[in-house]
Amino acid sequence: MTLAATTQPTKLVKAAPWIIAGLMVLSTLLSLAFFQRQSLRLDEAQSLWQTSHGPAMILKLVGEDVHVPLYHLILHVWQLFFGNDVSLARLLSFFFFLLSIPLMYALGRLCYDVKTSLFTTALFVISPFMNWYANEIRMYSLLVFMVLLNQYFFVSIFKKKTTGAWIGFTITAILGMYTHYFFFLILLADLFFYFYNRRLFLPRSLPKFFGVFFLLVVLFTPWVLYVLYLGSSANSAPSLAPPTTVNVFNTFSEFLFGFQTDHLNTILVSLWPLTILLAFLALRKNEKLRPETIYFLIAFLLPNIVAFAVSIVVRPVYLSRYLIFTLPSMYFVVAWLLGTYPRRMAIIARTALLVLMAGTLWVEAVSAATPVKENYREAVNYLEEHVKPADVIVVSAPFTIYPVMYYYRGPALLSTLPIWDMLAHGPIPAFFEAELPGQVSTLAAGHENLWLLLSYDQGYQEKVRLYFDTHFERTYTHKFSPGLSLYKYKLRYDR
Amino acid sequence: MTENTPKEKTQRSEFMRAQVPRSMMVFTILLTLLYFYLIAFTFAAGNMTLFTLLIIGEIFHVFQVIMFVSTIWRMDYEAPQDKLHFEPVDIFITVVSEPMDIIEKTVRAAKAIEYPSVTVHILNDGFVAKKENWQEVEVLAKRLGVNCITRRTPGGAKAGNINHALRVTKAPLVVVFDADHVPHPDFLKKTVPYFVDERMGFVQVPQYYKNYQLNYVTQSAWEQQQLFFGPICRGKNRLNSVTMCGTNMVIRRTALEEVGGMSETSIAEDFLTGLYMHSRKWKSVYVPEILAEGLAPEDFLSYYKQQFRWARGSLDVIFPRNLLLLKGLTWNQRLQYFVSISFYLSGSIVLMNALIPIVFFFTGLVPIVTSTMILASIFLPYILLTLYMLQKSSNFSFTFRALAFSMGQFHIHILALWSAMTRQKVKFSVTPKRAQTGNFLKLAIPHIAYVIVALVGMSYSYHTGGLTASFIANSAWALLNVGVFLPVIYAASPQLMRNKQLSVPKLVPEEVSVSTKDI
Repeated sequence: MTLAATTQPTKLVKAAPWIIAGLMVLSTLLSLAFFQRQSLRLDEAQSLWQTSHGPAMILKLVGEDVHVPLYHLILHVWQLFFGNDVSLARLLSFFFFLLSIPLMYALGRLCYDVKTSLFTTALFVISPFMNWYANEIRMYSLLVFMVLLNQYFFVSIFKKKTTGAWIGFTITAILGMYTHYFFFLILLADLFFYFYNRRLFLPRSLPKFFGVFFLLVVLFTPWVLYVLYLGSSANSAPSLAPPTTVNVFNTFSEFLFGFQTDHLNTILVSLWPLTILLAFLALRKNEKLRPETIYFLIAFLLPNIVAFAVSIVVRPVYLSRYLIFTLPSMYFVVAWLLGTYPRRMAIIARTALLVLMAGTLWVEAVSAATPVKENYREAVNYLEEHVKPADVIVVSAPFTIYPVMYYYRGPALLSTLPIWDMLAHGPIPAFFEAELPGQVSTLAAGHENLWLLLSYDQGYQEKVRLYFDTHFERTYTHKFSPGLSLYKYKLRYDR
Repeated sequence: MTENTPKEKTQRSEFMRAQVPRSMMVFTILLTLLYFYLIAFTFAAGNMTLFTLLIIGEIFHVFQVIMFVSTIWRMDYEAPQDKLHFEPVDIFITVVSEPMDIIEKTVRAAKAIEYPSVTVHILNDGFVAKKENWQEVEVLAKRLGVNCITRRTPGGAKAGNINHALRVTKAPLVVVFDADHVPHPDFLKKTVPYFVDERMGFVQVPQYYKNYQLNYVTQSAWEQQQLFFGPICRGKNRLNSVTMCGTNMVIRRTALEEVGGMSETSIAEDFLTGLYMHSRKWKSVYVPEILAEGLAPEDFLSYYKQQFRWARGSLDVIFPRNLLLLKGLTWNQRLQYFVSISFYLSGSIVLMNALIPIVFFFTGLVPIVTSTMILASIFLPYILLTLYMLQKSSNFSFTFRALAFSMGQFHIHILALWSAMTRQKVKFSVTPKRAQTGNFLKLAIPHIAYVIVALVGMSYSYHTGGLTASFIANSAWALLNVGVFLPVIYAASPQLMRNKQLSVPKLVPEEVSVSTKDI
């Protein structure tokens, strides 16, 4: 019994590198088979457009876009070497995801046994949410990578107590802050854990933390000053509605089951009372919450709570993708929870979760109804085949012009509603219903047909569509993906 | 059973070593109150009857959480004691028809107690209980060199047995052990010093089950006990509200005589006697240390009977006359006794909550109209933090099994409540010290029925209303209840006793009786 108990993990430890390699191959296959082939999305088009400029301009554009520049600069250099093809740009994000897989395992090994670590890594690899952003031309996979590195060094500070851990923590804190503003939330979680569990740290840790944060402030201040110098942001980002608790639970659901249709998502989140049963089952003798688990709980919950509170009190910033860096912590908590169950029940629960997540990953990847899919490529292909030089294409919201521009090579004029001069300094013009007739007249003048491509509803999409429906004859309608519809209106009857 | 090593002894007392940060307790209360406020005052009521029942249930839960926190607010209270204090002691070992080997072990251990002046008496009730082996007890007493007091006049069950012995003994302190509770040699050294306080009425020590690892029932029973004998009793200690548990206790004779001896009017004679002593301003102390080792009920029938007896006995305190209003009790004591009793009222609440999804399946009625996510956002933090506090207060000894057994005995509570309210006569019976065999699934019929009705209800609701968010959420609630009731069904199922080594041999199969008359 004892021999078996010790042999089993040793075998697993030896096999672990091969299992991790296998998981990396699996994620690569998933990426190539499904995610790399998708149409360019709005945010990706924006990244490609921003990084097509020189470094100075990139800093300006990113600063105005309420982001930090590390990812864009890396992508810029990447494109210099590999070109600006969508798939190649996506490979950069995937590269960081791939690096995160062994890192996830290493962090797991630092905190838990080999079984829990492998299970958590497997969750990470088949995570529908993670796979989505691992293949998107945005900074999110880099953010996860940076946070995992930072967490690895932070945990090392109180477990290994080495100087190297402090150096690593400092470097990743600085790089992380230049990856995403929300990175500070993980530092906040680190600090919170430190004050909650000071006894785990060496006595002189507090001055060291202050030192790191002082250095961070010094090195990040130039960027803050630069953003302030640029003035108000370009308002090029979608406006967000204040979140409700529904958004919070949707975020947790997305972290586990990815982006599903409203119906499926409703089913998944409505099952929440079962989480109480899962918690009940974890009530086991001497199953104390280990400091590592407390840390992951804090790293998962605190950023979500702070982002939610800021969204209510200051301005809406709560978006599941901004909080993607809390996903690994959530997986560690889930893996720990299931690991507390009796052996047979743990096996069943782990298998059920893996199967469920793999299933939802499959649905997310292949279903056309996946709500985050933005099929601009197909919409633009259709336009290219059907528009005439006398037609005009109008996209709304204005910022959705980026992915359209990326694909569009047709003969008709391309414009936005509200009308926006992309090269002019300043934010995207706001929508005013009173200005709609005038703007539509300007757009329609001299054209035969108007193709209206509506996506990313900013609160006025229905007004725009109704205006066209009541003033012009609609001759064509097609929905290319959830929230992306194309309408054709006849402007003139004299030709 | 092998002797325990010092490490094992320390480990098994761990549940009495915990402290809960006060910030956590305050936060738990705030979350609980917030949850209640939102549920009661901000959500739109659905069906008014269901809403009212839900609110009654929530008021009960809020009361339980607040009282639990107030009880465990300080668990490290230590009453004054004098290690050199000494008074002669009579040890009473109450016996009815227990196996001789069990009695012998207890008597030998009692004789081995290290104390200058102690007389061991076996209180033999076998004769009045018409047990065949009553004479064997006298033989055993003679062989072991202890006094045997065999009662010839029946009445009062265990309490009557003790009261009879009180009349023929005279030491100022009396110790009571059930026949299966084997004391440690230092039992008196650790308990008598508290009697330096002249108003000290009784000292209670935990009722530890040495056979707890035997099977599912013993494990569950012990894990349930740990919450009580850990944080709850330690907290009651501070409030001079210790519950008298009927065994492993030292009582001052004058205090006991002042309240007319052990109460013979209830099947929970200990609980009531403690209450009377408190009302006469006698003090009580709880010693959080395992100083005696007993046996847990080894089968579900025995467990059922034991729980019913405790429930009915406790409820006798408030039905038909509310003894909590007795003069002399402090408000803290009244509250503490009431909160102990209120555990046995929780069965109705458990059943009520469990029926809410069932009602939805068949009628579509709901108690509140709100987004299931909003409910989740206020309910989950409240329930998870409360669970964590329970875990922490018991030093992570509280388990799912204990929770399931506590919630799953709702039918026992309801039955006990009914019998208390209707004043049904219930005969006292000792918890069997041998495992009973047989099929006890009869005792889990309410749980099995719930599972069946829930599944039928889900199917009906799905066919009539489709896969709506309300259907999913209510199904999840029903499955949660099913998950909690399954351990009870499992414990009652016949396979439990297979391949298990029992601490004492099984009894021959007998007919399972669920009548309240002889519990």
